[in-house]
Amino acid sequence: MAEPALALVQSSPAPAHAQIAFDKVALVLGGKAIIDTISLEVAAGEILCVVGASGCGKTTALRLAAGLYQPTGGAVRFEGEVMRAPRREIAVVFQDYGKALLPWRTAAGNVSLALETIGMPSAQRAARIAELLAKVGLAGHAAKYPTEMSGGMQQRLQIARCLAQDPKVLLMDEPFGALDAMTRQGLQDEMLALVASTGATVVFVTHDLEEAIYLGDRVVGLLPHPGRVGLELTIDLPRPRDQLATREHPEFLRLRRALFDFIKASE
Amino acid sequence: MRWSVIAWRCASFVVAAGVIALWQLAADRRLISPVFLPGPDRAWASLLRGFTSGDLLTKLTGTLTHMAYGWLLASVAGIALGAMIGSSKAMRIYVAPTLELLRPLPVSAIIPVAIAAFGLNQSMALFVIAFGSLWPMLLGTIHGFAAVEPRLYEVARVLHMSRLAVIFKIALPSAAPDILAGMRLSLTVALILAVVCEMLAGLDGLGQWVLLSARAFRSADLFAGVMLLGIIGYITALAMGAAESRLLRWQAARR
Ligand SMILES: Nc1ncnc2c1ncn2[C@@H]1O[C@H](COP(=O)(O)OP(=O)(O)O)[C@@H](O)[C@H]1O
Ligand SMILES: [Mg+2]
Repeated sequence: MAEPALALVQSSPAPAHAQIAFDKVALVLGGKAIIDTISLEVAAGEILCVVGASGCGKTTALRLAAGLYQPTGGAVRFEGEVMRAPRREIAVVFQDYGKALLPWRTAAGNVSLALETIGMPSAQRAARIAELLAKVGLAGHAAKYPTEMSGGMQQRLQIARCLAQDPKVLLMDEPFGALDAMTRQGLQDEMLALVASTGATVVFVTHDLEEAIYLGDRVVGLLPHPGRVGLELTIDLPRPRDQLATREHPEFLRLRRALFDFIKASE
Repeated sequence: MRWSVIAWRCASFVVAAGVIALWQLAADRRLISPVFLPGPDRAWASLLRGFTSGDLLTKLTGTLTHMAYGWLLASVAGIALGAMIGSSKAMRIYVAPTLELLRPLPVSAIIPVAIAAFGLNQSMALFVIAFGSLWPMLLGTIHGFAAVEPRLYEVARVLHMSRLAVIFKIALPSAAPDILAGMRLSLTVALILAVVCEMLAGLDGLGQWVLLSARAFRSADLFAGVMLLGIIGYITALAMGAAESRLLRWQAARR
Protein backbone atom coordinates (compact mmCIF):
# COMPACT_ATOMS: atom_id res chain seq x y z
CA MET A 1 0.00 0.00 0.00
CA ALA A 2 2.72 2.46 1.00
CA GLU A 3 5.19 1.30 -1.61
CA PRO A 4 3.77 2.78 -4.83
CA ALA A 5 2.96 6.07 -3.09
CA LEU A 6 6.54 6.40 -1.85
CA ALA A 7 7.91 5.61 -5.29
CA LEU A 8 5.68 8.31 -6.73
CA VAL A 9 6.86 10.92 -4.25
CA GLN A 10 10.53 10.23 -4.71
CA SER A 11 10.33 10.87 -8.43
CA SER A 12 11.75 14.40 -8.08
CA PRO A 13 12.60 16.99 -9.52
CA ALA A 14 9.59 18.88 -8.28
CA PRO A 15 6.91 19.74 -10.80
CA ALA A 16 6.21 23.46 -11.15
CA HIS A 17 2.92 23.32 -9.27
CA ALA A 18 4.28 21.95 -5.96
CA GLN A 19 3.75 24.70 -3.41
CA ILE A 20 6.04 23.20 -0.81
CA ALA A 21 8.61 20.60 -1.67
CA PHE A 22 10.91 18.68 0.67
CA ASP A 23 13.81 17.54 -1.46
CA LYS A 24 15.84 14.86 0.37
CA VAL A 25 15.62 16.95 3.54
CA ALA A 26 17.73 15.94 6.51
CA LEU A 27 18.21 17.73 9.82
CA VAL A 28 20.80 17.12 12.51
CA LEU A 29 20.28 18.94 15.81
CA GLY A 30 22.78 18.69 18.62
CA GLY A 31 24.63 15.87 16.88
CA LYS A 32 21.43 13.84 16.57
CA ALA A 33 19.71 13.05 13.28
CA ILE A 34 16.16 14.26 13.89
CA ILE A 35 14.95 14.06 10.28
CA ASP A 36 16.57 11.80 7.74
CA THR A 37 15.80 12.21 4.10
CA ILE A 38 12.22 13.27 3.75
CA SER A 39 11.08 13.89 0.19
CA LEU A 40 7.57 15.18 -0.04
CA GLU A 41 5.47 17.55 -2.09
CA VAL A 42 2.43 19.53 -1.14
CA ALA A 43 0.32 20.80 -4.02
CA ALA A 44 -1.36 24.21 -3.93
CA GLY A 45 -4.75 23.99 -2.25
CA GLU A 46 -4.06 20.58 -0.79
CA ILE A 47 -4.67 19.60 2.83
CA LEU A 48 -1.86 17.34 3.93
CA CYS A 49 -2.07 15.78 7.36
CA VAL A 50 1.01 14.48 9.14
CA VAL A 51 0.73 11.83 11.84
CA GLY A 52 3.26 9.84 13.80
CA ALA A 53 4.17 8.69 17.29
CA SER A 54 5.15 11.34 19.82
CA GLY A 55 8.73 12.51 19.29
CA CYS A 56 9.00 11.26 15.72
CA GLY A 57 9.73 14.70 14.31
CA LYS A 58 6.36 16.13 13.25
CA THR A 59 6.94 19.51 14.83
CA THR A 60 10.48 19.61 13.49
CA ALA A 61 9.27 18.85 9.96
CA LEU A 62 6.72 21.65 10.25
CA ARG A 63 9.35 24.08 11.47
CA LEU A 64 11.46 23.16 8.46
CA ALA A 65 8.51 23.91 6.21
CA ALA A 66 8.08 27.26 7.98
CA GLY A 67 11.72 28.21 7.45
CA LEU A 68 12.28 28.36 11.22
CA TYR A 69 14.91 25.64 10.82
CA GLN A 70 17.35 25.26 7.94
CA PRO A 71 17.89 21.67 6.80
CA THR A 72 21.40 20.27 7.19
CA GLY A 73 20.88 18.21 4.04
CA GLY A 74 18.70 18.65 0.97
CA ALA A 75 16.41 21.62 0.51
CA VAL A 76 12.96 22.89 1.34
CA ARG A 77 11.39 24.77 -1.56
CA PHE A 78 8.47 27.15 -1.68
CA GLU A 79 7.06 27.47 -5.20
CA GLY A 80 10.33 26.14 -6.50
CA GLU A 81 12.48 28.61 -4.56
CA VAL A 82 14.80 27.40 -1.80
CA MET A 83 13.61 28.66 1.61
CA ARG A 84 16.27 30.54 3.54
CA ALA A 85 14.02 32.17 6.12
CA PRO A 86 10.34 32.32 7.10
CA ARG A 87 8.06 33.96 4.54
CA ARG A 88 4.89 35.95 4.99
CA GLU A 89 3.02 33.70 2.58
CA ILE A 90 3.46 30.89 5.08
CA ALA A 91 1.56 31.28 8.35
CA VAL A 92 2.19 29.08 11.37
CA VAL A 93 -0.50 28.14 13.88
CA PHE A 94 1.47 27.10 16.94
CA GLN A 95 0.31 24.33 19.21
CA ASP A 96 0.68 26.40 22.38
CA TYR A 97 -1.72 29.24 21.55
CA GLY A 98 -1.34 30.60 25.08
CA LYS A 99 2.29 31.41 24.36
CA ALA A 100 1.88 32.52 20.76
CA LEU A 101 -0.56 35.36 21.54
CA LEU A 102 0.48 38.72 22.99
CA PRO A 103 -1.18 38.81 26.42
CA TRP A 104 -0.98 42.62 26.54
CA ARG A 105 -2.97 43.05 23.35
CA THR A 106 -6.69 42.49 22.98
CA ALA A 107 -8.07 40.09 20.38
CA ALA A 108 -8.27 43.00 17.95
CA GLY A 109 -4.72 44.05 18.86
CA ASN A 110 -3.35 40.58 18.23
CA VAL A 111 -4.87 40.48 14.75
CA SER A 112 -3.66 44.02 14.21
CA LEU A 113 -0.06 42.91 14.85
CA ALA A 114 -0.05 40.99 11.57
CA LEU A 115 -1.76 43.83 9.69
CA GLU A 116 0.71 46.40 11.07
CA THR A 117 3.56 44.21 9.98
CA ILE A 118 2.32 43.82 6.42
CA GLY A 119 2.04 47.61 6.37
CA MET A 120 -1.71 48.06 6.14
CA PRO A 121 -2.62 51.73 6.77
CA SER A 122 -4.28 52.15 10.16
CA ALA A 123 -7.43 53.57 8.58
CA GLN A 124 -8.14 50.26 6.87
CA ARG A 125 -7.19 48.04 9.80
CA ALA A 126 -10.33 48.28 11.92
CA ALA A 127 -12.59 46.97 9.19
CA ARG A 128 -10.22 44.16 8.29
CA ILE A 129 -9.84 43.16 11.96
CA ALA A 130 -13.60 43.00 12.39
CA GLU A 131 -13.90 40.92 9.24
CA LEU A 132 -11.20 38.46 10.33
CA LEU A 133 -12.57 38.09 13.86
CA ALA A 134 -16.03 37.47 12.45
CA LYS A 135 -14.58 34.85 10.13
CA VAL A 136 -13.32 32.78 13.07
CA GLY A 137 -16.43 33.39 15.16
CA LEU A 138 -15.00 35.98 17.54
CA ALA A 139 -17.09 38.94 16.36
CA GLY A 140 -18.22 40.03 19.84
CA HIS A 141 -14.86 39.52 21.52
CA ALA A 142 -12.61 42.12 19.90
CA ALA A 143 -11.92 43.96 23.17
CA LYS A 144 -11.11 40.85 25.22
CA TYR A 145 -7.60 39.96 26.27
CA PRO A 146 -6.44 36.42 25.45
CA THR A 147 -6.45 35.51 29.15
CA GLU A 148 -10.15 36.29 29.26
CA MET A 149 -10.84 33.76 26.51
CA SER A 150 -11.27 29.97 26.52
CA GLY A 151 -8.68 27.75 24.87
CA GLY A 152 -10.85 27.29 21.80
CA MET A 153 -11.31 31.04 21.43
CA GLN A 154 -7.57 31.66 21.82
CA GLN A 155 -6.81 29.16 19.08
CA ARG A 156 -9.42 30.80 16.87
CA LEU A 157 -7.72 34.11 17.54
CA GLN A 158 -4.36 32.71 16.52
CA ILE A 159 -5.92 31.42 13.31
CA ALA A 160 -7.42 34.87 12.67
CA ARG A 161 -3.99 36.44 13.09
CA CYS A 162 -2.55 33.93 10.63
CA LEU A 163 -5.31 34.70 8.12
CA ALA A 164 -4.43 38.40 8.51
CA GLN A 165 -1.10 37.56 6.86
CA ASP A 166 -3.15 36.54 3.82
CA PRO A 167 -1.12 33.34 3.63
CA LYS A 168 -0.88 30.90 0.77
CA VAL A 169 0.08 28.17 3.21
CA LEU A 170 -1.14 27.41 6.72
CA LEU A 171 1.14 25.22 8.82
CA MET A 172 -0.72 23.91 11.84
CA ASP A 173 0.94 22.01 14.67
CA GLU A 174 -1.61 19.97 16.61
CA PRO A 175 -3.75 23.10 16.78
CA PHE A 176 -6.72 21.41 18.42
CA GLY A 177 -4.76 18.91 20.52
CA ALA A 178 -5.35 20.67 23.82
CA LEU A 179 -9.07 21.22 23.28
CA ASP A 180 -12.00 19.09 24.40
CA ALA A 181 -13.67 16.80 21.85
CA MET A 182 -16.72 18.95 21.17
CA THR A 183 -14.73 22.14 20.65
CA ARG A 184 -12.29 20.23 18.48
CA GLN A 185 -14.95 18.89 16.13
CA GLY A 186 -16.46 22.35 15.82
CA LEU A 187 -13.10 23.85 14.97
CA GLN A 188 -12.31 21.10 12.47
CA ASP A 189 -15.40 21.98 10.46
CA GLU A 190 -14.79 25.72 10.78
CA MET A 191 -11.24 25.25 9.59
CA LEU A 192 -12.34 23.20 6.57
CA ALA A 193 -14.86 25.89 5.65
CA LEU A 194 -12.25 28.65 6.06
CA VAL A 195 -9.68 26.82 4.00
CA ALA A 196 -12.25 26.08 1.29
CA SER A 197 -13.09 29.80 1.12
CA THR A 198 -9.46 31.00 0.99
CA GLY A 199 -8.04 28.18 -1.10
CA ALA A 200 -4.98 28.01 1.15
CA THR A 201 -2.68 25.03 1.23
CA VAL A 202 -2.63 23.34 4.64
CA VAL A 203 -0.10 21.14 6.37
CA PHE A 204 -1.78 19.85 9.49
CA VAL A 205 0.13 17.94 12.15
CA THR A 206 -1.90 15.87 14.56
CA HIS A 207 -1.59 12.82 16.75
CA ASP A 208 -5.29 12.14 16.31
CA LEU A 209 -5.50 9.62 13.43
CA GLU A 210 -9.21 10.13 12.86
CA GLU A 211 -8.71 13.87 12.71
CA ALA A 212 -6.04 13.37 10.05
CA ILE A 213 -8.35 11.30 7.85
CA TYR A 214 -11.33 13.56 8.46
CA LEU A 215 -9.47 16.70 7.39
CA GLY A 216 -6.92 15.55 4.84
CA ASP A 217 -6.66 15.05 1.12
CA ARG A 218 -3.61 13.02 1.95
CA VAL A 219 -2.10 11.63 5.16
CA VAL A 220 1.60 11.09 5.68
CA GLY A 221 2.77 8.84 8.51
CA LEU A 222 6.23 9.49 9.94
CA LEU A 223 8.51 6.85 11.41
CA PRO A 224 10.69 7.80 14.39
CA HIS A 225 14.47 7.83 15.03
CA PRO A 226 15.20 9.47 12.71
CA GLY A 227 12.00 11.02 11.38
CA ARG A 228 11.17 9.81 7.88
CA VAL A 229 8.11 9.08 5.77
CA GLY A 230 6.77 5.58 6.34
CA LEU A 231 3.30 5.73 4.86
CA GLU A 232 1.26 7.82 2.50
CA LEU A 233 -2.49 7.53 2.15
CA THR A 234 -4.67 9.35 -0.33
CA ILE A 235 -8.01 10.15 1.24
CA ASP A 236 -10.78 9.76 -1.30
CA LEU A 237 -13.67 10.81 0.89
CA PRO A 238 -16.30 13.16 -0.50
CA ARG A 239 -16.29 16.82 0.50
CA PRO A 240 -17.75 18.66 2.27
CA ARG A 241 -17.00 16.28 5.09
CA ASP A 242 -19.54 15.58 7.79
CA GLN A 243 -18.77 14.63 11.37
CA LEU A 244 -21.22 11.73 11.31
CA ALA A 245 -21.46 10.56 7.71
CA THR A 246 -17.75 10.83 6.93
CA ARG A 247 -16.69 9.03 10.07
CA GLU A 248 -19.11 6.17 9.30
CA HIS A 249 -18.01 5.87 5.68
CA PRO A 250 -16.54 2.39 4.94
CA GLU A 251 -13.52 4.03 3.30
CA PHE A 252 -12.95 6.07 6.48
CA LEU A 253 -12.97 2.90 8.54
CA ARG A 254 -10.57 1.18 6.15
CA LEU A 255 -8.15 4.12 6.25
CA ARG A 256 -8.43 4.30 9.99
CA ARG A 257 -7.48 0.67 10.23
CA ALA A 258 -4.48 1.15 7.96
CA LEU A 259 -3.24 4.15 9.99
CA PHE A 260 -3.69 2.42 13.33
CA ASP A 261 -1.77 -0.59 12.09
CA PHE A 262 1.00 1.67 10.82
CA ILE A 263 1.34 3.59 14.09
CA LYS A 264 1.27 0.39 16.10
CA ALA A 265 4.02 -1.14 13.97
CA SER A 266 6.10 2.05 14.14
CA GLU A 267 6.16 2.10 17.94
CA MET B 1 -13.40 43.33 47.42
CA ARG B 2 -14.22 47.03 46.96
CA TRP B 3 -15.62 47.28 50.47
CA SER B 4 -12.52 45.81 52.05
CA VAL B 5 -10.45 48.39 50.17
CA ILE B 6 -12.59 51.20 51.57
CA ALA B 7 -12.40 49.66 55.04
CA TRP B 8 -8.59 49.55 54.84
CA ARG B 9 -8.45 53.17 53.69
CA CYS B 10 -10.63 54.20 56.64
CA ALA B 11 -8.52 52.21 59.06
CA SER B 12 -5.28 53.78 57.87
CA PHE B 13 -6.87 57.22 58.05
CA VAL B 14 -7.94 56.57 61.65
CA VAL B 15 -4.42 55.43 62.54
CA ALA B 16 -2.89 58.53 60.94
CA ALA B 17 -5.34 60.77 62.81
CA GLY B 18 -4.49 58.93 66.04
CA VAL B 19 -0.77 59.46 65.53
CA ILE B 20 -1.29 63.18 64.92
CA ALA B 21 -3.49 63.42 68.03
CA LEU B 22 -0.83 61.70 70.14
CA TRP B 23 1.80 63.99 68.67
CA GLN B 24 -0.30 67.05 69.61
CA LEU B 25 -0.83 65.65 73.10
CA ALA B 26 2.87 65.00 73.59
CA ALA B 27 3.71 68.52 72.44
CA ASP B 28 1.03 70.15 74.60
CA ARG B 29 2.15 68.25 77.67
CA ARG B 30 5.74 69.19 76.83
CA LEU B 31 6.81 65.59 77.16
CA ILE B 32 9.59 66.57 74.77
CA SER B 33 10.96 70.08 74.73
CA PRO B 34 9.31 72.27 72.05
CA VAL B 35 12.81 73.08 70.85
CA PHE B 36 12.96 69.52 69.49
CA LEU B 37 9.32 68.65 68.99
CA PRO B 38 6.80 71.22 67.77
CA GLY B 39 3.14 70.29 67.84
CA PRO B 40 1.42 69.49 64.55
CA ASP B 41 -0.31 72.86 64.83
CA ARG B 42 3.01 74.70 64.77
CA ALA B 43 4.44 72.49 62.03
CA TRP B 44 1.34 73.15 59.93
CA ALA B 45 1.55 76.89 60.56
CA SER B 46 5.19 76.83 59.50
CA LEU B 47 4.30 74.91 56.38
CA LEU B 48 1.71 77.52 55.41
CA ARG B 49 4.07 80.36 56.24
CA GLY B 50 6.79 78.74 54.14
CA PHE B 51 4.51 78.55 51.16
CA THR B 52 3.10 82.06 51.46
CA SER B 53 6.60 83.51 51.73
CA GLY B 54 7.61 81.38 48.73
CA ASP B 55 10.73 79.95 50.40
CA LEU B 56 9.40 76.46 50.87
CA LEU B 57 7.97 76.37 47.38
CA THR B 58 11.42 77.06 45.92
CA LYS B 59 12.88 74.25 48.02
CA LEU B 60 10.09 71.90 47.04
CA THR B 61 10.63 72.65 43.35
CA GLY B 62 14.36 72.15 43.84
CA THR B 63 13.97 68.71 45.35
CA LEU B 64 11.38 67.66 42.78
CA THR B 65 13.66 68.81 39.98
CA HIS B 66 16.69 66.95 41.33
CA MET B 67 14.65 63.84 41.87
CA ALA B 68 12.98 63.97 38.46
CA TYR B 69 16.15 64.60 36.45
CA GLY B 70 18.10 61.87 38.22
CA TRP B 71 15.27 59.42 37.97
CA LEU B 72 14.56 60.12 34.31
CA LEU B 73 18.22 59.86 33.41
CA ALA B 74 18.40 56.56 35.27
CA SER B 75 15.23 55.35 33.54
CA VAL B 76 16.53 56.06 30.06
CA ALA B 77 19.95 54.59 30.82
CA GLY B 78 18.57 51.64 32.79
CA ILE B 79 16.03 50.63 30.16
CA ALA B 80 18.44 51.06 27.23
CA LEU B 81 21.28 49.20 28.93
CA GLY B 82 18.95 46.59 30.37
CA ALA B 83 17.43 45.97 26.95
CA MET B 84 20.87 45.54 25.42
CA ILE B 85 22.08 43.18 28.10
CA GLY B 86 18.82 41.31 28.56
CA SER B 87 18.21 40.55 24.90
CA SER B 88 21.62 38.96 24.36
CA LYS B 89 22.51 35.73 26.06
CA ALA B 90 26.24 36.37 25.69
CA MET B 91 25.90 39.81 27.31
CA ARG B 92 23.93 38.31 30.17
CA ILE B 93 26.62 35.74 30.81
CA TYR B 94 29.52 38.21 30.66
CA VAL B 95 27.98 41.32 32.20
CA ALA B 96 25.55 39.97 34.78
CA PRO B 97 28.22 38.84 37.32
CA THR B 98 29.80 42.30 37.26
CA LEU B 99 26.40 43.84 37.91
CA GLU B 100 25.79 41.51 40.80
CA LEU B 101 29.08 42.72 42.26
CA LEU B 102 28.23 46.41 41.85
CA ARG B 103 24.61 46.22 42.91
CA PRO B 104 25.01 45.68 46.68
CA LEU B 105 27.53 48.54 46.81
CA PRO B 106 25.94 51.23 49.01
CA VAL B 107 25.37 54.38 46.99
CA SER B 108 26.78 56.38 49.89
CA ALA B 109 30.14 54.87 48.99
CA ILE B 110 29.94 56.42 45.55
CA ILE B 111 29.20 59.91 46.89
CA PRO B 112 32.82 60.80 47.79
CA VAL B 113 33.89 59.57 44.37
CA ALA B 114 31.25 61.75 42.73
CA ILE B 115 32.27 64.77 44.82
CA ALA B 116 35.90 64.25 43.84
CA ALA B 117 34.94 63.96 40.19
CA PHE B 118 32.36 66.74 39.89
CA GLY B 119 32.72 68.93 43.00
CA LEU B 120 29.84 69.98 45.23
CA ASN B 121 27.34 70.94 42.55
CA GLN B 122 24.30 69.95 40.51
CA SER B 123 26.25 67.55 38.28
CA MET B 124 27.38 65.60 41.32
CA ALA B 125 23.79 65.39 42.55
CA LEU B 126 22.53 64.31 39.16
CA PHE B 127 25.18 61.61 38.93
CA VAL B 128 24.59 60.25 42.42
CA ILE B 129 20.80 60.22 42.10
CA ALA B 130 20.92 58.61 38.66
CA PHE B 131 23.52 56.05 39.72
CA GLY B 132 21.58 55.06 42.80
CA SER B 133 18.22 54.75 41.07
CA LEU B 134 19.68 52.98 38.06
CA TRP B 135 19.90 49.54 39.64
CA PRO B 136 16.29 48.54 40.17
CA MET B 137 15.44 49.61 36.62
CA LEU B 138 18.51 48.04 35.06
CA LEU B 139 18.02 44.71 36.78
CA GLY B 140 14.27 44.78 36.20
CA THR B 141 14.75 45.46 32.50
CA ILE B 142 17.39 42.75 32.13
CA HIS B 143 15.11 40.25 33.80
CA GLY B 144 12.12 41.36 31.76
CA PHE B 145 13.95 41.12 28.46
CA ALA B 146 15.47 37.76 29.32
CA ALA B 147 12.05 36.36 30.20
CA VAL B 148 10.28 37.16 26.91
CA GLU B 149 8.44 34.08 25.66
CA PRO B 150 10.64 32.59 22.88
CA ARG B 151 7.53 31.61 20.94
CA LEU B 152 6.75 35.30 20.47
CA TYR B 153 10.09 35.83 18.78
CA GLU B 154 9.15 33.04 16.38
CA VAL B 155 5.83 34.72 15.72
CA ALA B 156 7.84 37.84 14.92
CA ARG B 157 10.11 35.90 12.54
CA VAL B 158 7.18 34.34 10.72
CA LEU B 159 5.60 37.79 10.35
CA HIS B 160 8.91 39.33 9.21
CA MET B 161 8.77 42.01 11.88
CA SER B 162 11.62 44.53 11.84
CA ARG B 163 14.11 44.63 14.72
CA LEU B 164 12.64 47.87 15.94
CA ALA B 165 9.12 46.46 15.81
CA VAL B 166 10.23 43.40 17.76
CA ILE B 167 11.69 45.61 20.50
CA PHE B 168 8.74 47.98 20.73
CA LYS B 169 5.87 45.59 20.09
CA ILE B 170 7.11 42.44 21.77
CA ALA B 171 10.10 42.80 24.07
CA LEU B 172 9.26 46.10 25.79
CA PRO B 173 5.59 45.37 26.50
CA SER B 174 6.52 41.90 27.68
CA ALA B 175 9.14 43.34 30.03
CA ALA B 176 6.92 46.25 31.11
CA PRO B 177 5.82 44.76 34.45
CA ASP B 178 9.43 44.23 35.53
CA ILE B 179 10.53 47.62 34.22
CA LEU B 180 7.70 49.47 35.94
CA ALA B 181 8.34 47.67 39.23
CA GLY B 182 11.96 48.82 38.97
CA MET B 183 10.87 52.38 38.23
CA ARG B 184 8.65 52.39 41.30
CA LEU B 185 11.49 51.23 43.57
CA SER B 186 13.83 53.80 42.03
CA LEU B 187 11.46 56.63 42.80
CA THR B 188 12.06 56.20 46.53
CA VAL B 189 15.81 55.88 46.02
CA ALA B 190 15.82 59.07 43.93
CA LEU B 191 14.01 61.04 46.65
CA ILE B 192 16.37 59.86 49.38
CA LEU B 193 19.45 60.66 47.32
CA ALA B 194 18.09 64.06 46.28
CA VAL B 195 17.79 64.98 49.96
CA VAL B 196 21.23 63.63 50.79
CA CYS B 197 22.88 65.52 47.93
CA GLU B 198 21.12 68.75 48.83
CA MET B 199 22.41 68.40 52.38
CA LEU B 200 25.94 67.66 51.25
CA ALA B 201 26.26 70.16 48.45
CA GLY B 202 24.01 72.88 49.85
CA LEU B 203 21.79 72.77 46.79
CA ASP B 204 18.46 74.54 46.85
CA GLY B 205 16.03 71.92 48.08
CA LEU B 206 14.20 70.41 51.02
CA GLY B 207 17.33 68.56 52.14
CA GLN B 208 19.09 71.87 52.66
CA TRP B 209 15.99 73.40 54.29
CA VAL B 210 15.70 70.54 56.75
CA LEU B 211 19.40 70.66 57.60
CA LEU B 212 19.50 74.42 58.14
CA SER B 213 16.29 74.37 60.19
CA ALA B 214 17.74 71.70 62.43
CA ARG B 215 20.95 73.63 62.92
CA ALA B 216 19.02 76.77 63.82
CA PHE B 217 16.71 74.84 66.19
CA ARG B 218 13.70 75.89 64.12
CA SER B 219 11.91 72.68 64.87
CA ALA B 220 8.61 73.78 63.33
CA ASP B 221 10.31 74.48 60.00
CA LEU B 222 12.21 71.22 60.25
CA PHE B 223 9.00 69.29 60.70
CA ALA B 224 7.30 71.18 57.91
CA GLY B 225 10.11 70.07 55.59
CA VAL B 226 9.96 66.48 56.74
CA MET B 227 6.20 66.42 56.29
CA LEU B 228 6.61 67.78 52.79
CA LEU B 229 9.15 65.05 51.96
CA GLY B 230 6.71 62.44 53.20
CA ILE B 231 4.00 63.93 51.02
CA ILE B 232 6.29 63.90 47.95
CA GLY B 233 7.09 60.26 48.53
CA TYR B 234 3.45 59.38 48.97
CA ILE B 235 2.17 61.30 45.95
CA THR B 236 4.86 60.11 43.54
CA ALA B 237 4.28 56.51 44.62
CA LEU B 238 0.56 57.02 44.10
CA ALA B 239 1.10 58.50 40.63
CA MET B 240 3.45 55.68 39.70
CA GLY B 241 0.93 53.11 40.92
CA ALA B 242 -1.79 54.73 38.80
CA ALA B 243 0.47 54.76 35.75
CA GLU B 244 1.35 51.13 36.36
CA SER B 245 -2.20 49.89 36.65
CA ARG B 246 -3.11 51.85 33.52
CA LEU B 247 -0.22 50.47 31.49
CA LEU B 248 -0.67 46.94 32.83
CA ARG B 249 -4.45 46.73 32.44
CA TRP B 250 -3.96 43.44 30.62
CA GLN B 251 -2.54 41.89 33.77
CA ALA B 252 -5.66 42.75 35.70
CA ALA B 253 -7.59 40.80 33.07
CA ARG B 254 -5.53 37.74 33.92
CA ARG B 255 -6.79 37.66 37.50
N1 LIG C 1 16.35 21.71 19.29
C1 LIG C 1 16.48 20.37 19.40
N2 LIG C 1 17.68 19.83 19.69
C2 LIG C 1 17.84 18.49 19.80
N3 LIG C 1 16.83 17.62 19.68
C3 LIG C 1 15.61 18.08 19.39
C4 LIG C 1 15.36 19.49 19.25
N4 LIG C 1 14.04 19.65 18.97
C5 LIG C 1 13.50 18.43 18.95
N5 LIG C 1 14.43 17.48 19.20
C6 LIG C 1 14.19 16.04 19.22
O1 LIG C 1 13.68 15.70 17.96
C7 LIG C 1 12.72 14.67 18.07
C8 LIG C 1 11.46 15.08 17.36
O2 LIG C 1 10.85 16.16 18.04
P1 LIG C 1 9.48 16.79 17.57
O3 LIG C 1 9.63 17.24 16.17
O4 LIG C 1 9.09 17.80 18.57
O5 LIG C 1 8.50 15.53 17.62
P2 LIG C 1 6.92 15.49 17.56
O6 LIG C 1 6.41 16.84 17.22
O7 LIG C 1 6.63 14.49 16.51
O8 LIG C 1 6.43 15.00 18.87
C9 LIG C 1 12.53 14.40 19.55
O9 LIG C 1 13.21 13.24 19.87
C10 LIG C 1 13.14 15.62 20.21
O10 LIG C 1 13.73 15.24 21.43
MG1 LIG D 1 5.13 18.15 18.33
